[in-house]
Amino acid sequence: MVNTDKNTILISPVTRIEGHAKITLQLNEAGEVADAKFHVTEFRGFEKFCEGRMFTEMPTITPRICGICPTSHTLASVKACDMIMGIRPTYTANLLRRLMHIGQNLSSHALSFFHLSSPDFLLGYDSDPAKRNILGVAEKFPDLAKRGIRLRQFGQELSERITGKKIHIMGIVPGGMAFPLTEDNRKALLEWVPEAKETTLQAIELIKRFHEENEEMVRTFAPSPTLYLGTVGPNGEHELYDGKLRFMDTDGNIIQDQVDPKNYLDYIAERSVSWSYRKYPYYKPFGFEKGIYRVGPLARLNVASQMKTPLAQKEFENYKAMCGGKPLHGTFYYHYTRLIECLSDVEDAERILNDPEVTSLHIQNFGRWNYDEGIGSSEAPRGTLFHHYKTDRTGKLLMVNLLIATGQNNPSMNQSVLEVARQYVKGDDIQEGMLNRVESTIRCYDPCLSCSTHALGQMPMQIEVLDAGGELIKSLERN
Amino acid sequence: MMALVTIYIDDKKIIANSEKTILEVARENNIEILTMCHLKGLTDVGACRLCMVELEGSPKLFSACTTKVAENMIVTTNSERIKRYQRITTELFFAERNHICAVCVSNGACELQNLGYKVGMEAIRYPHLFPQCDVDTSHPLYVMDQNRCISCSRCIRACAEVEGAYNWDMMGRGYQIRVISDFNTPWGESTTCTSCGKCLQACPTGALWAKSIVQGQQDKHPEFITDLMERRKMKL
Repeated sequence: MVNTDKNTILISPVTRIEGHAKITLQLNEAGEVADAKFHVTEFRGFEKFCEGRMFTEMPTITPRICGICPTSHTLASVKACDMIMGIRPTYTANLLRRLMHIGQNLSSHALSFFHLSSPDFLLGYDSDPAKRNILGVAEKFPDLAKRGIRLRQFGQELSERITGKKIHIMGIVPGGMAFPLTEDNRKALLEWVPEAKETTLQAIELIKRFHEENEEMVRTFAPSPTLYLGTVGPNGEHELYDGKLRFMDTDGNIIQDQVDPKNYLDYIAERSVSWSYRKYPYYKPFGFEKGIYRVGPLARLNVASQMKTPLAQKEFENYKAMCGGKPLHGTFYYHYTRLIECLSDVEDAERILNDPEVTSLHIQNFGRWNYDEGIGSSEAPRGTLFHHYKTDRTGKLLMVNLLIATGQNNPSMNQSVLEVARQYVKGDDIQEGMLNRVESTIRCYDPCLSCSTHALGQMPMQIEVLDAGGELIKSLERN
Repeated sequence: MMALVTIYIDDKKIIANSEKTILEVARENNIEILTMCHLKGLTDVGACRLCMVELEGSPKLFSACTTKVAENMIVTTNSERIKRYQRITTELFFAERNHICAVCVSNGACELQNLGYKVGMEAIRYPHLFPQCDVDTSHPLYVMDQNRCISCSRCIRACAEVEGAYNWDMMGRGYQIRVISDFNTPWGESTTCTSCGKCLQACPTGALWAKSIVQGQQDKHPEFITDLMERRKMKL
């Protein structure tokens, strides 16, 4: 520990998330947490350097933003391209795009739950940090760890068997898909379904048991109410690939429904802050202070009226019953909602793979530049994602706006970190387990800050305590 | 005047037509020589310097595509020196412009990318120039991306020698050389381009590509150029 400043605690880098970030906790004179800041310290610049490229290159360039959710970027991008060309994908192409997105969601959610978060549930928040990772889980719960890894593998295999690659796929194209699904691959993917379903159900049981055993902690874990944004189908059903936007207020009232994603700017605005490269989006009609909203699995289940598949619907009803049909605000419920989505994904994959049209060869419609603006959205694993392009009359990009899910969760992540820090961090007597709880608040959101994953939690962690005058008084280092 | 000569390529004795180049004779005898600017059917210009070979009795290297065989010529194509130069040349291609395979439309179907694999390029040892290059999207069907051009001039020769349109040409010198349309005007405003697309087929990289495709759909056929010229020679 290094004592340099009395009242600020700095957690840097935050581990077991995608990307790099640090947390600063500002203490007051009494040693209580007064403020928390979640900094994103890297700068990417995609919106700028994509300018000048052909719009049709965007489905190839933008997935490189992230190695965890490249398919979501591709989908948002091709949908923006579809709009620029004024064409619609074929029925089969939509099925294959949905399958690709399911694969993406499953592999990302499995990574988040089993690899990154389950060490906290299974081994304990205060357990030895050196073993609090997926390898530690594998040692103590080998079957569950293996199942988790295989669930992720199923997600990636969906991608590989449809487009030939696990990540950074090429094959989702404007107007549809580039490659058809072969009968052999369809059968091979169907064989995965029973195991994936069983794994998901086991994980749901695990999280529910944890809820029961840690009721107080789960209920009080960063429970500040926020607004919610998610995509829903025409009947308000949970939707990941293609639907309309629904905004919900803190009491569960639907404040906007069936909003076409192309009108997103009417409802969402962004503001920059000096201490982070990430912007602060907010619900425009409520303004910056009151317009904090969340996206992602928790938001999607809060805004949805129903699920599309039977087993997921059963869990969804259980979820809704936990708060009498009102939205659940507790940040910890992200994990549960993530698993309900996994169940829905597996069931939906089974339905699609049994659709006789899924192996059809009619997979692409063709077009060319027709309109100078395109907006596409998809529900990435971490929430609603928007791609917005403007082009000149030759198709060259003049403006690119990418509204990323984690960016939209940024204001509420700060709020959650502050709440948990206030609950667990007291003065300069800082224990590693306390910091892990603060970090795990961020992990609930499964933030995707860049394209790297520190799945084993090997990154060193540093906590610094600064006094009210801004002088560093204490620093705790991990590793 | 055509004559038969005896040459040795990598110790292999070959009887060859004296009108042919070392490259032609080597390929007819299944001896691989790396090239980028050569496209069978088009005039060879020795632009890429990848096909350099050693000739016994001379300290300098010769481009196999522009050097004709001669009696008792002893050619070495695979010495360590040659391999070293091939790696250097390849790395310089990559360092000169902005070749980002991951996001290139030709990823997986690119002669330059294949060349990198072939010469065992693991890193680029030279500082990248990162030039500010234009992307010409003005043509209704095609794109010319200077970032990915290696100045091999295959497009220029295909346009001139096969199509006879003379749309493409070179401007500038050295590393500032640029392939230009007409008199360096937007391709979409060209008065010579017939939109035949032969330059796209000839292009070994993702510098010239069709707006209708995205990564994974690149399917160039430079052999079309060769076939056209063969048929033309045979007056078919």
